[in-house]
Amino acid sequence: MQLKGKVAIVTGGASGIGRATAELFSREGAVVLIADVNEAAGKVASEKIVKSGGRACFERTDVTRAEECRRLTERAAREFGAIDILFNNAGIIRRATILDLSEEDWDRVMAINVKSIYLLSREVIPHMQRAGGGSIINTASGWGLAGGAKAAVYCASKGAVVLLTKAMALDHGPQKIRVNCICPGDTDTEMLRSEAQQLGEPSEGFLAEAARRPLGRVGSADEIAKAALYLASDAASFVTGTALVVDGGGLAGTI
Amino acid sequence: MRGLDAKRVLITGGASGIGAATAARFLDEGSVVCVLDRDAEAGHRIQHELSELAGVLEADVSSLEQVQAAFSDAIQLMGGVDVLINNAGISIRHNFLEITPEEWDKVIAVNLTGVFYVAQTAARHMMEHDGGVILQTASTNGVMGYPYYADYNATKAGVIELTRSMALELAPKVRVCAVAPGYVLTPMQRAEYTDEMLEEVNRKIPLRRHAKPEEIAALFAFLASDDAAFITGHVFTADGAETAGGLASR
Repeated sequence: MQLKGKVAIVTGGASGIGRATAELFSREGAVVLIADVNEAAGKVASEKIVKSGGRACFERTDVTRAEECRRLTERAAREFGAIDILFNNAGIIRRATILDLSEEDWDRVMAINVKSIYLLSREVIPHMQRAGGGSIINTASGWGLAGGAKAAVYCASKGAVVLLTKAMALDHGPQKIRVNCICPGDTDTEMLRSEAQQLGEPSEGFLAEAARRPLGRVGSADEIAKAALYLASDAASFVTGTALVVDGGGLAGTI
Repeated sequence: MRGLDAKRVLITGGASGIGAATAARFLDEGSVVCVLDRDAEAGHRIQHELSELAGVLEADVSSLEQVQAAFSDAIQLMGGVDVLINNAGISIRHNFLEITPEEWDKVIAVNLTGVFYVAQTAARHMMEHDGGVILQTASTNGVMGYPYYADYNATKAGVIELTRSMALELAPKVRVCAVAPGYVLTPMQRAEYTDEMLEEVNRKIPLRRHAKPEEIAALFAFLASDDAAFITGHVFTADGAETAGGLASR
């Protein structure tokens, strides 16, 4: 068990990559606090972990609200005594050019994908400092390193996550807080399927296109979770400020 | 790490430093390990230290003939190669204006041509058999500029592009990634530092220390494992956030 006795917060933990990561962290011995706006799915995710013998709970949290981030952090510290791992994973996508994007959607994507990392990390970092260190993992995207069509605000937000990660790694490295991000390629989740819908494309063709990469398939949520596990674990003790690309070779070049 | 038990691993430059730590790590994971090194004396030492090694092969990676002979020996000893840690490399500290053609050729021969010889030999074997994983030692010097190592830096940038191109051509059967370590405190590196020099370098690194060779070994283990099954063509930096900012960050 690679995370025995560790306490982890996973945002966006009710579904997709977040849920797979919460389950994997639990199997590896961590206590997991799942944060999400989706209360029904969050409770199901947490109960499933408890039923299989793990320790987990759910806190309904809108990570774009400072007071809710504070409440989440206080609960983790109060109930579990420490926070060793923070997985800032909550995120949404809007598939549109800037001409077709409402100002409201711009603000919403930036708030959930970027501002939430600032709001929650500033609550959690003081606890990690007192404990002598910790690991923060942010979900960026392959589209935080390269551009994608009809995804302007998503690309802007994920590019921001990559550099926010590096800046935080510089600032908090001396306190032994490691900060890294994962750049998944297309991953088999509800969010990926929602993209076909937003673009008005048949889901089958969209998914076939997404699989066109060197490994010939999209990733699974579990494969992203395994990357998060590595970054959270002591095996990555010198790894900080890095962007780990998990995309089946999609960004390595053109095929 | 999942999926490393009984894997057959060949490590070039495996008799010292990062390579030796990586050999020890894969043995811990239950893998079968051969190391290849041109330094016979270091080879004897590692054989003594890691008695479970399946073999220690003496070869200079800049000679295709020697690489091919040593690779055949590795296959004889292990029955095949599933994981290649393409790690052998050298560096010379010198001013750019004073690099001699001989020095330039030597660094390129080991760090780039040698990496290519080993990679191609292993890749041909893996493509004919059950696939595999090739991991190559690049460096943060292949990502950013550093004074006094222009030739070395150029080879490491070359290794990075070689890695990405191999990943595209060899997918999906063989995964190919590079590891770009920052400052690593190998015994050889420690011997070159005074305490003051070590402290000065540590101050430039946000984690305020060098990596231990074991920490780079742990990254190789992760990338070779089933946990990294969707990771290919990636250049993984392990540098304590040294390159997360430029000079301006300090």
